[in-house]
This record gives sequence, structure tokens and C-alpha cells, in this order.
Amino acid sequence: MFEETVEHRLRPIAAAFAESDLVRIRVADDAAEIELRRAVPNARAVAPGSGGEQTNRTYDVITAEVVGVLHFQRPPVEEGYSLDGDRELAQIEALGIRNPVRSRGAGRVACIYVAEGQPVDYGQPLFAIDRS
Amino acid sequence: MFRKILIANRGEIALRINRAAHELGVPTVAIFSEPDRTSLHVRHADEAFCVGPGPAARSYLNVANIISAALICGADAIHPGYGFLAENARFAQICIDHDLAFIGPPPATIASMGDKAEARRKMAEAGVPTTPGSEILRSLADARAAAQRIGYPVLLKATAGGGGKGMRVVDGEDDLPSAFATAQAEAEANFRDGRLYLERLVRKPRHIEVQVLGDRFGTIVHLGERDCSIQKPSHQKLIEEAPAPALSEPIREKLHATALAAARAVGYSNAGTLEFLVDGSEIYFMEMNTRIQVEHPITELIYGVDLVKEQIRIAAGEHLGFAQDDMSPHGYAIECRINAEDPANGFAPSAGTLVDVEFPGGPGVRVDTHIVAGSQIPPYYDSLLAKVVAVGRTRANAIARMERALSETRIEGVPTTIEICRDVLRSEAFRAGGVDVEFLPSRFIAARAVV
Repeated sequence: MFEETVEHRLRPIAAAFAESDLVRIRVADDAAEIELRRAVPNARAVAPGSGGEQTNRTYDVITAEVVGVLHFQRPPVEEGYSLDGDRELAQIEALGIRNPVRSRGAGRVACIYVAEGQPVDYGQPLFAIDRS
Repeated sequence: MFRKILIANRGEIALRINRAAHELGVPTVAIFSEPDRTSLHVRHADEAFCVGPGPAARSYLNVANIISAALICGADAIHPGYGFLAENARFAQICIDHDLAFIGPPPATIASMGDKAEARRKMAEAGVPTTPGSEILRSLADARAAAQRIGYPVLLKATAGGGGKGMRVVDGEDDLPSAFATAQAEAEANFRDGRLYLERLVRKPRHIEVQVLGDRFGTIVHLGERDCSIQKPSHQKLIEEAPAPALSEPIREKLHATALAAARAVGYSNAGTLEFLVDGSEIYFMEMNTRIQVEHPITELIYGVDLVKEQIRIAAGEHLGFAQDDMSPHGYAIECRINAEDPANGFAPSAGTLVDVEFPGGPGVRVDTHIVAGSQIPPYYDSLLAKVVAVGRTRANAIARMERALSETRIEGVPTTIEICRDVLRSEAFRAGGVDVEFLPSRFIAARAVV
């Protein structure tokens, strides 16, 4: 019974977990309960506050909507910057068109996940904005 | 040869293309939608880009993101597989406009064969037999006149159509107005093109298609035929075999010669398939698919040719490495499509998590699949899970091998077509060979009548 659970339930869950952006996953039913935690947080995926630490802060993670090459707005924002409103933070260049990436409101730039000139794909985290 | 190929597809065909590219020593780039992030086609590729969320319109059909991914990673060619963008002439042109080779025929060929009415006209000009039919119908009155001339029963078809959508059988004049309205609405909704034409309905035909392969220097060969008459009530193929059983040699030769003449008439290059209806000793051109087909492995197994590698080589500007005289089939091959569908419920597709997956092996068995235990089957895409292919020296040998292979196959978590395929293989009519496209649908009607 236990072996069957490991073979048929744990392995696929573990495989999916390993490739996901999650830091913790718990699956339970009447027969068993499985919890997986990531020992070293995945740098790309962990927005501040979404890991283990307890915090009342709320963050928005701005993700890429298009596949392209990232260029920061000049002068580039840095972590810790305060934004007084909706600001253009970067552009994603795709097929010669620069698609703006906006902060979608005021806040503090808590984390920058990407570097100048880096290729990004759909849904890739770019910035975490502290809204509190 | 290409530097890098972007594979604009998912599932088993993305893996199939990946294998061909890697065997040619060409690195690959996968694209994927968010729910496909952990899919096997992503893991096997050298690089991968997420191009959008689950719905195909925003991911696997997202031309801007796909082209952008290809340019960023330095790919110089795109293989579209089948479905999605494979027969989209505009996509093929956009690839070329961005200096990306489109692994398929030129956009103009895709466009002319994609328009069913135009394809029929072109083929008729080339002397290829087509079912008696009409030009594009401008009105119901037009349709009435055409049907009178052709003779009922007729088939109303969408010129942009495919997959049975926008298609209606009309038995008599009384049924024409409602059939015309519904077919037009369906075509409009599915293809944004409501134009219809009529052709004579061939009752109980066999569906036999011929594989062709042409390079850019005018060499065109055929690689025999495939019998795809085992179709679901929706006219989608379920079991295919090559060569076609119980077919007289003159008809077989006529199919091959006609396919070659048709491919030459349109100056075809790359891999393509000409689909025919066979009714006794009559053959009628139905349509040409300007892409690799799902059922291509059965041809590969009996001809010893890697069709996907040939597609890549041809697109890279290489000569076809063989002539017609070099090509002869050896043995018989059968393919069963294992779909996540419930045959007891009108083949309704199902989504879910696969808890158990076991595939067959051993002599003469090939499995093309992207699934493993734990795979999630998203609700957005085609329900094909795996293609189980068996090859043998004789047809009886291939059938026995397929029965053995299916008995070893286990997929749990979603309903599948494994049992219905086994049921067909056991039937006397199938074993005798040469059944028509009504074989499988009529079995369902018969089964229901018994209940």
C-alpha cells in the first residue's frame, strides 16, 4: 500500500513540484498525507514573503506578458525604490516592438528578478512590488 | 543543415520532431503553455519557452510569441507538426519574412490546398478524379440547382473546413434549406468563412490516402498508401494500416499514379498526403494535407524512411536521397490511436491525471507518446495520448502483434480507446480487411440496438 502510494502518487507529485515555482506542497486524502518543502528557495520564483517568513506585507509580482528581450526603463529602477504611482519599469522587445512593463500602481520595488538584455518568456516574474 | 529548430507544437508530435532533429545533430527549442510546463516535450528539448496560458489561441497559436522565441534563441527553422499552425499559410509566410525556414511546403501551396473548393478545381484541371460537385455556392437557390444537377444524396461542405465541421449530408431537397443554414453557421463559427460547396455523397467509401515526398528540385516520390477507414462517428481516424488490405493491384497503382500526378501538378515540396475516397473501382480525390500526418509511422515502418527527418532535410535545401524505384514496402503495419476519450459516451474527450501508465514493448512494436504516470491531461488540446504501432511480415502477424501490444498497454486515470481498438481487431470484418468508413459507426448503432 505504502509502496504503491510512493510509486504512483509521490513520484509524479515530486516531479511536478521539482519543476514548479512552488516552495511547499501538501496533498492529503484518507489514506495518506504527503508534504514536500523546498530546502533552498528557488531564486527565480520566490517573491519576498511567499516563502516561510511571517509577514503582513503584500506583494504583487509583475510577470512578462510576451516573449522577448527585457530592457529597463532609463534610468533603471533599483530594489528599494519607491514608486509614487503607475510607472513604466521596463520594456519587453519582441519582433521590433517595445511592449511596456508597468508597475500597476504605487509601491516599493522589493525585488528585481531579471537583468538588462535578458530573454524572458510568458509568465516569467520580472518585479515584485511591495504594496503595503 | 539548420543551426537550431523551434518545434511549434506539443505532445507526441513535438517529441517525434525533437527525436528527428537530434538524430540529425540539430539542437531544438520547445514551446509550451503554462499547463504543459512539466511535459515530456519540454524536457527533451535543448531549450524551451513558455508562450502563453492554457488555451491554444493564446499559446500554441500565439504567432507573435512563437516567432519572438525563435528569433531570441537563434533558431533558423520552425517545424509546425500537425494541427495548430501546420496548415496556416499566413504563419508559413510570417516565418519566411523573419528569415526562418518553415518546414513544410511553400505558403502558396498550403493556401491553395487549404481552400477545399480551390483544391478540387486544381485537381480536376490536373486530371485527378474528384466527386461530381459544385463551385462555391452563393445562395440556397444556387445550392438547390447544383444538387439537382449532381443528384441526391449530396454532401454540403465548408471550403475552409476540416474535422467534419460545417459538413452535412442532405438526402433530399426538403432537407436542403435547414442543412444549408446550419452548415453555413457552423463554418462561420469555426473557420470565420461560411462559404460552402456541394459534392455527391459517396455511400460507404473506404478512406485511403497516399504519402508523397518531394524535394525543392522537382523530385517527387510516393510512399504507398494507408487505409484509414476505421473512423469514429465524427469521421476522425482511430486505426490505420499500410498497405491497404483487400485492394486490387490496379486500384492501388491508380492511387499511387494519381497521387504523384496531383503532387506534380501543384509543384509540391516536402511531405504531404492525398486523401481519396475509394468506392469499388472508382477513386475520388478528397483533399490534400500539406503537413506530416498523425499516422505517418506506419509508412515509416514498412518503407524504412524517417519522414520527419526527410521533411527537415528537404526544407534545408537537400536533395531527396532516393528515387521511386528505390522504394518498396516490406510487411504490414497497423496504428491504434489511444485517446483520452470515452467511446461509451460518444468519444467525449476527458481531462485528468494519469495514475498508471504502462506501454508495450518487444519485437515489432513502436509507441509514440508524451505521457508518463502522473501526467496531467489538460482540457485544452487534442485527446491523443499515444500511438501504438505494430509491424509484421504479414497482416495477420501485424494484427496478432497489435493485439499482444494492446494487452500490455495500461492507462488509468481517464477513459481511453484501448478497448474499442481491441474490439475492432477481434472483429471478423476487420480481419477479412477492406471495411468502409461506416464500419465503426454502424457497430455502435448495432450495439445500441441490442441494448
